[in-house]
Amino acid sequence: MSGYMTGILTVLSINIIMAYAIFLPAAAGQLNLGGAGFQALGAYATAFLSAKYGTPSWATIPAAMLVGGLVGGVLAFPLLRTKGVYLVLATFALAEVIAGAILNTTALGGAMGLSVPDYVGANVPMIAAACVTLFVFYLMATRFGLVMRAAHDDDVVTDLLGANVRAIRVVAFALGGALAGLSGALYALAFSFVDISTFNATISIYVLLYVLLGGTQTAFGPILGATFFTLLPEVLRSVLPQVKAFLAGIFGQTGAIAPPDESWRFIILGLLTVLMMIFRPEGLVTRTFIERLKGALRGQGARRKGAVA
Amino acid sequence: MLLIQQIINGVMLGSVYVTMAVAFTLTIGVLNFLNFTIPTLFMLAGMGAWALTAKGVPIIGAPLIPVVIAPIIAIVTTIAASLIVERFTFRYLKMKYGDSTEHAIPLVSSLGFLLIIENLVRIAYGTDPQRFTALEADFTFDIAGLMIRVPQLASLMISIGIVFAVNRALNHSRIGRGLRAVAENPDAANLLGVEANKLVPVIFMLTGLLCGLAGILFAMNYGEVSPQMGEDIGSKAIAGMVIGGLGSIWGAVIGGLIIGVAEMLTIHLFGADTVQVVVWGLLLVMLFFRPQGLLGHNSIGKGKL
Amino acid sequence: MTTAAPLLSLQNVSKRFGGLSVITDVSFEVAKGARMALIGPNGAGKTTIFNLISGFYRPDEGQIVLDGVPIQQLPSRKRVGLGLSRSFQNIRLMPHLSVIENIMLAQQPHAGGLLDMVKPIALPGFRRWQREAEELLDAMGIDTYAGDVVATLPYGVRKKIEVVRALAAKPKLLLLDEPAAGLNAAETEGLTDFLKRIALTGVTLLVVEHDMGLVRKLCDDAVVLNFGAKIYDGPTATVQDNPLVLEAYLGPRHSKTASGASDQKGAHHVA
Repeated sequence: MSGYMTGILTVLSINIIMAYAIFLPAAAGQLNLGGAGFQALGAYATAFLSAKYGTPSWATIPAAMLVGGLVGGVLAFPLLRTKGVYLVLATFALAEVIAGAILNTTALGGAMGLSVPDYVGANVPMIAAACVTLFVFYLMATRFGLVMRAAHDDDVVTDLLGANVRAIRVVAFALGGALAGLSGALYALAFSFVDISTFNATISIYVLLYVLLGGTQTAFGPILGATFFTLLPEVLRSVLPQVKAFLAGIFGQTGAIAPPDESWRFIILGLLTVLMMIFRPEGLVTRTFIERLKGALRGQGARRKGAVA
Repeated sequence: MLLIQQIINGVMLGSVYVTMAVAFTLTIGVLNFLNFTIPTLFMLAGMGAWALTAKGVPIIGAPLIPVVIAPIIAIVTTIAASLIVERFTFRYLKMKYGDSTEHAIPLVSSLGFLLIIENLVRIAYGTDPQRFTALEADFTFDIAGLMIRVPQLASLMISIGIVFAVNRALNHSRIGRGLRAVAENPDAANLLGVEANKLVPVIFMLTGLLCGLAGILFAMNYGEVSPQMGEDIGSKAIAGMVIGGLGSIWGAVIGGLIIGVAEMLTIHLFGADTVQVVVWGLLLVMLFFRPQGLLGHNSIGKGKL
Repeated sequence: MTTAAPLLSLQNVSKRFGGLSVITDVSFEVAKGARMALIGPNGAGKTTIFNLISGFYRPDEGQIVLDGVPIQQLPSRKRVGLGLSRSFQNIRLMPHLSVIENIMLAQQPHAGGLLDMVKPIALPGFRRWQREAEELLDAMGIDTYAGDVVATLPYGVRKKIEVVRALAAKPKLLLLDEPAAGLNAAETEGLTDFLKRIALTGVTLLVVEHDMGLVRKLCDDAVVLNFGAKIYDGPTATVQDNPLVLEAYLGPRHSKTASGASDQKGAHHVA
């Protein structure tokens, strides 16, 4: 495998895990706009343990998950008391506080960042991403997943039907924290360096966007969203210069043409977001879509046992 | 004495937050919508004014626009941009089930617009900060050893004046009463013949106006603009709004000033790196223990999201 | 008329919102196995009573006893476990879950243990709850494909599914809030039979309904509310003879002219 390919696969794996970290609370109806904060916790936990104590990666990775999960679980209680806009703001604020705290802790390198002596190859993030994907698919197929999805649709009635919505949401939030911690740990180990400015509000926004665009009703959504938005810049990197050259050719320009600005990919992400919210606000992959797909595979004739009453 | 000077500086800085916090609180109060394009609109005004004076009209290039006119054009552009945002966030919004992520649709769209506008400006003018030298002379006067910069004082006055005007308009005009009716109870307002669809653009025009003014005043006072200028200021305006209370205009004024003063005092006492922790920590504590803020109502923003 | 202890009893229940008294000193009992209607003009407080029983609100005064257990202080999710289940005036199925998943969700009081929560629900070898839900759907004559997402189904079907969902909790007492609202005559007919079949399985029914035809066919007893107070408690057959009830529905002028008008037409007018 070429270095370029392994690089992309590493980033893709980390992004998929991060997508599931945001997906779990979102599937239960809670938007977390502070994903980067939890990712930073995991990354710095790993970096610190590795740099200070030389802890091997098989121990730092679970430690990072534990830190993310614990912080998520403990803070879920006050956080999830807030609703709607308040929850979005609170998670956003939490990420800023975490980033600020790390920035001001000299033991964590402050603004200088922290070198990670340990290193893992692309296979570890890839295996981790596969495991996380399987885990989330399993979780969504359990009664726990059922209650999560129900709470997303109508938390009041879900509670009335006998499910402890609060407990479910706290667990979903904590699991999300642990997964974000894992993705942070893998980031630290794959790039051997952590810098708090990497885990900024923009990252939180991107992750939330591609999870919502992928769709939060099924576990297919995040993997699709993450893959699409990780590979999009790579595709654009090769396609955009050609488009630009082509357009320049039409306008009669010749000679060397500067490659287009990196910023275009964000504009494309922004445009897709706006268009998706207009035409398919529930995300690319919806529950109905999956059922239709299954129905198509099964054959239309067998779909209904009898006529609809 | 230095402490008092820092408080004065904080109030001056806070006046920028106040203007944007009022924009945030209006959209949340009336539409239950956290509009993330507000920081970019702020940036658009600042960068626009700079670009018009330093680079000329976009695409056409020349002529350079005089400093006196450029801000007006920039503000009009900002209002226009805000109306475009309205068209694609609220106009097409269709709620089918009323579930929890559906309510986030305008918020998510506005995050999309944030990316679009900010990156378009980046492509046009690069990411580097630019010097905005509209005010060559720096008028200052001191009272009993306290330095007060005239442009800052002017912008404080303008900010407060704008807030007064908006508040007055909300309380005394027909449109304002309609808006308040929508904020109280959209369904009932609809029944009473208030056409919410026609009032929504008004909110976005006001948003554009407030952000435009804030952007221009900030650019003139601090002499620097960049495509990123909205991120930091905008998030502090959000913090100010929450502290004041969602949906309360006077809350936004108080909250914005508190954040401004807290920021200056923190820098003075603990250094610039701790500002983030203090501002956001304050916000988090507020959300946990008094989510309705200092002056807000209990009901606003509780809707599903 | 009942010899055994009642399944549900409200004792001097009052509820205020702000300064406004919406329920004033309401007491009534629902016997085991009864089919009782709760009726009254719009705004009489019927849905508020339901919300008090099911736990959306707490009463300011009074006691609500279900099968011997005072429940007024219990959180709503614990009341399901005691055998209380309800449907809603406006359908509140989970739109993004399939029919079968909606039903399975309501099995929660019987399947909410930690182990049950983390077991898969739709994989071979773990289909116990799914089978149970399918059997219930079959028994209730819902012949729509169980995997269909609820959002895609027609109104009448969703209305029925909501009742079936309430049944999946295996309740002793089923609260139905306007089950016939929005249904046409034929659908209402079907629903009446459907509810009678449910009652035959031993489930006690308490029904809020405007359709007096359905009420008379289905319910033996009725409680009538007006302005948050009880004005009638007795057999459904004689409800139109009560001057207070007539006054509540038709205004004070009609109470004299129309008193004793117990014929079918008058009854429909009341509806």
